[in-house]
Amino acid sequence: MTARQLGMVIDLNKCIGCQTCTLACKSQWTDRDGREFMYWNHVETRPGKGYPKDWEQAGGGWDGDTLRPGRLPRLHEDYGYPAEFGYEVLFEEGEKPLRPKEEMAWGPNWDEDQGAGEYPNSYFFYLPRLCNHCSNPACQVACPRQAIYKREEDGIVLIDQERCRGYRYCVAACPYKKIYFNPLAGKSEKCIFCYPRLEKGLPQACAYQCVGRARHVAFLDDQEGALHQLVNQWKVALPLHAEYGTQPNVYYVPPLSPPKIGSNGRSLDEPRVPDEYLVQLFGPGVGAALEMLREEMAKKNRGEASELMDLLIAYRHGDMFRLDRPREVV
Amino acid sequence: MDRREFLRNSTYCGLALAFGGPLTALRAHAATPLGDQRWEELYRDEFLDTRGDAQGFAFHCSNCQGNCAWKVFAKDGRVTREEQSAAYPQIHPRIPDANPRGCNKGIVHSKEMYQGDRLLHPLKRAGERGEGKWERVSWEEALEDIATRVVDTLTEQGPGELMVYAGTGILSQGRRAGPLRLGSLLGAQRLYPASAVGDMFTGASLAYGLANTGHSLDAWFDADAIFLWAINPIVTRIPDAHYLNEARYNGATIYTISPDYNPSCKFATHWVPIKPGTDAYLAMSLLHVLLRDGHVNDAFVREQTDLPFLVREDSGELLRHRDLRARGKEDVFYCWDEASGKEQPMPGTPGHFKKTLRLGKLRPALGGRYEIKGKEGELIPVTTVFERVRAEAANYPPDETQAITGVHPELVERMARDLARSNKAIINIGFALHKYVSGTMSCWAAALACALTGHAGERGGIDTEHNWSLNGIGPLSSPKPARFASGFFSEWLNGDMQASMDTHYSDEHLKATAGYDSKDVERQVAENRESGKAYYGKPRALLLFADNMFRRNKTEAHHREAVLSNLDIFVDINHRMDSTALWADYVLPAKSHYESWDIRGELGYHRFCNVTIPPEGLKPVGETRSEWAICLGLSEAMAKVARARGIEPIADPDFLVQEGDMAAPVMRDLQTLPDDFTDGGTLKNDEDVVRWLMENVEQIAPWTPEDARKNGFVILNEKAGFTSPLYANRPYHSFERNVYLREPYKTHSGRQQFFVDHPVFKEHGWTVPTAIGPLRPPSFPLAFYTPHTRWGIHSQWRTNEQLLRLQRGEPYLWLNPATAAARDVGEDDRVRVFNDVGEFIARVKLMPAVPPEAVVMDHAWEPHQFEKRIGLNSTVAGMISLLELPDGWGHLTFSPNWDGNMIAHESSVEVEKA
Ligand code: SF4
Ligand code: SF4
Ligand code: SF4
Repeated sequence: MTARQLGMVIDLNKCIGCQTCTLACKSQWTDRDGREFMYWNHVETRPGKGYPKDWEQAGGGWDGDTLRPGRLPRLHEDYGYPAEFGYEVLFEEGEKPLRPKEEMAWGPNWDEDQGAGEYPNSYFFYLPRLCNHCSNPACQVACPRQAIYKREEDGIVLIDQERCRGYRYCVAACPYKKIYFNPLAGKSEKCIFCYPRLEKGLPQACAYQCVGRARHVAFLDDQEGALHQLVNQWKVALPLHAEYGTQPNVYYVPPLSPPKIGSNGRSLDEPRVPDEYLVQLFGPGVGAALEMLREEMAKKNRGEASELMDLLIAYRHGDMFRLDRPREVV
Repeated sequence: MDRREFLRNSTYCGLALAFGGPLTALRAHAATPLGDQRWEELYRDEFLDTRGDAQGFAFHCSNCQGNCAWKVFAKDGRVTREEQSAAYPQIHPRIPDANPRGCNKGIVHSKEMYQGDRLLHPLKRAGERGEGKWERVSWEEALEDIATRVVDTLTEQGPGELMVYAGTGILSQGRRAGPLRLGSLLGAQRLYPASAVGDMFTGASLAYGLANTGHSLDAWFDADAIFLWAINPIVTRIPDAHYLNEARYNGATIYTISPDYNPSCKFATHWVPIKPGTDAYLAMSLLHVLLRDGHVNDAFVREQTDLPFLVREDSGELLRHRDLRARGKEDVFYCWDEASGKEQPMPGTPGHFKKTLRLGKLRPALGGRYEIKGKEGELIPVTTVFERVRAEAANYPPDETQAITGVHPELVERMARDLARSNKAIINIGFALHKYVSGTMSCWAAALACALTGHAGERGGIDTEHNWSLNGIGPLSSPKPARFASGFFSEWLNGDMQASMDTHYSDEHLKATAGYDSKDVERQVAENRESGKAYYGKPRALLLFADNMFRRNKTEAHHREAVLSNLDIFVDINHRMDSTALWADYVLPAKSHYESWDIRGELGYHRFCNVTIPPEGLKPVGETRSEWAICLGLSEAMAKVARARGIEPIADPDFLVQEGDMAAPVMRDLQTLPDDFTDGGTLKNDEDVVRWLMENVEQIAPWTPEDARKNGFVILNEKAGFTSPLYANRPYHSFERNVYLREPYKTHSGRQQFFVDHPVFKEHGWTVPTAIGPLRPPSFPLAFYTPHTRWGIHSQWRTNEQLLRLQRGEPYLWLNPATAAARDVGEDDRVRVFNDVGEFIARVKLMPAVPPEAVVMDHAWEPHQFEKRIGLNSTVAGMISLLELPDGWGHLTFSPNWDGNMIAHESSVEVEKA
């Protein structure tokens, strides 16, 4: 345990799958120097194979107190090459279409909006993913160079780019597959929770620039912060795949969904995303969390007050982020 | 060497072990780091690099209407990154603020502006049109040649043969001003863009005399019920979508009416799955339930609507003053007054001397049948509009319309109940609705549902697309009268669109589904053409700014060839090589969103007027110039030609000005063009234009460009609202002046109008809201519709590399898995989509969200992204709605509030493995 731990709650009832966060992170960190194929933050449609493809089947994480075997994702098939386009065809003779120079086989958002189920009872929702800055990070202990550490002041998990030799044990060990090997640098890299921004009092790019206003950032021990309140008090924010054992510090408010439709076209009294599916992702607490959300929403619907709803509504964008430093002008 | 090339070719292959395969740490190592934290400087330095050495502000002046303020960072004169300004003030503690606004497109513009399809130099066609052979020329050479040819057109054929059209790629007040001003000085044609792109809300025009009306989107927040009708704001209103989700947390019930389970359905309380194109039946069923159950806000409809107006049972027309008096007026209408027991003229109609909706002692009857003495003493049997509306709605009980719409009656009843019992209910009408012929009716009926239940002002009501009123721009954008032409009508004729309509739809089928056929259309088109108010003929010269008309128009190649065949000169002014620029004679490279000063404040989703101030020291991209500079350059070149040839001012007798007590034709003076364009040298550049606008637009007062430098925006004042004041601390709601101050509406009846007795409406049984369509012919089994995409603002950013990486890199369509399986088609297969109008090839994405009877494709892929460069509009037949053609009946007179749509979603297709 570090002295303090910064965390993030992502509200899946507010995440609209717009990928602004994905691109905010990209232009902040990964549009250069061998990182082009990486998405430290991405948003995947669930149910789906996700990114990298089938990451949930790629192992890693903990099996009790031993590391579970893991697998390295493949570049073309699982991450997807960062497609490049031959724009010059637009200035040349002929009918050649503007296409990726090499056909894409997969990408960070390949199964966008596909989901599961059959018309009219199909369903999907968006799941933004980034490094969880875990309290028991499998990546850290998998590194034979001891290059990975958690910062004392905020619990951010970093890969020391001077010590890293690119052995990639961490890539396989992270059950979320949120470490990427940079073939140009020969080192592994990952989400750094935007510490250079935080140090200037500026929230993480993916959170601050989230136009769905879906992301809350706070220290877990901050009683006034949304993290403590949503995770510990209201218990509506849950970690993803807690069973992987890494103790993630990114939490999710699980998704509500409109009712299923019966064969005669009648609305049924049953959400279309099956509970079992959500339990797989967010654990057994998900039923109670959804119930709590519905009850509090019903209060608002009746014109009564709800502290929980007000917290999730987040009346002021600036209040969604409680850092330990004032904003500097940069 | 290109880094990415390096990545892909050498390193990736060289390091066979880098990716793929099992790799398991055999033991857990100690968790203590061995190094110190000095290396952390690495990312700190990178961060500072992206913050650069200069900062400006910008918005993206495209056709998404989001209007979001961004910070733009630059280093060594090159833009590094953009980040939302996120500084909009909260207007009220109980309304969420508007931050951080923005979306996935805006955030990649720093990449787009340096991307390979950016136009960097003036190009001149060196082969046939569209052949792709270009010659790089200097600005001087380009401008001189273009000017010569435009002057030829003007002098030989007259100003009406020139079209100067700024499309929806630039919709701001700043950048748009250049082409508008140039066109206006020359007397050129220009199209009404909302109509050209098919974004007219004619249903709202019928009801309110206003096409664009509604609320600022923060008004969602405290609504009790929200109906998203053919609108998918989670995808298409990304910066404001949070208000919707916050409204839900705040207790709102949200319905999404859509044939596919689109992303907005996921966030709704109820999804209303409707069969494509049958919305008018659902709307009529809603009216049915409201009227059946007596959900009628009596006081509201008697005063605010034409429902108590009397209708002659003999002629089926409104009872007018001229029916009762010789030489009586056309625009005075009557009610049956329960107080006096006789007919009385309704105040507030254009012809009535009382300009108020206040009824005074009048008690207009809503229902009943009466007899009234006519001007010749004859007895005229009359009833009320309300009775007509009720009789029509009676034909659509929800248990019968279910067979057409697929919507269960319980859901209809529930929607009607929620609409009726909500204090504040909003019906958002999406642009997709009017892409069906029935859209006009669906929207008109929805407006009636809001009227019956009294939803207007703070109680909500219809929301199409809300705009602010900005006064005082005229002297800048229209110093002289220009030829303002209907968008859809001009494109229909210029693109010879009826040909494909005749191919795709048989007359019998049209009669049966729409109630009109191709002859009716032909007749009405000829009549409108004759009256000549909205059409100026095929242009011979075209200066096209930021408009992708050859991507957008139906039938694609057919339209393109028809337009090009008449053009002597076609100049495309653009920041990128789009599907239209490919066919130009000249391509002139324009600056894009971060590179010139600009201002935008007419968009009504929020009250903030954004200002673009480029970062200091920003290096021009190639030889690009601002639109203002390009127009000025053209003016100077034309003046030079005119002086050399001694061309005197050209009289333009289509427009007259008063000179003393004489009417004189407007003169088009080419020799003084640069001086006129710059207003005597005061408007030299894009910055001057923005300063002029900030000084002259009343709604921007008291702010100055220096205020905008703080956060990239200023706040519009109270005067910005058209039909209500814009209060500083409340969301904007329409029609408060009408509802609370009883000011008449801008309609023929002075009220919300639900009866139109234009002969075309009468002949086809359209006098009150009713259901028509869908028109799609049975000759091909699948409906084809193309909703707005998450990945572009129409075709802007559609070819962006960053965004394509988050898709599949090339065009794909959405097919229900069962529909695909029946055709032996699988995920990612190449398919041919075809019908009797055309065909194209795309990949398949299997989507259980899509109804089995449809092919859905998010729109605006550039044709040049498809094989053979044949795009999706190749299979969309031309279609025009007879409902939108009548001109010259009260408020149904050609104007920005009464123009029509290019119908886009009524074609049918088949799909097979390619
Ligand atoms: S920016 Fe926010 S709303 Fe958009 S995808 Fe990312 S987390 Fe979701
Ligand atoms: S998410 Fe993965 S990379 Fe991040 S701290 Fe946890 S185990 Fe390590
Ligand atoms: S916290 Fe920063 S580095 Fe991590 S995913 Fe978000 S934007 Fe990227």
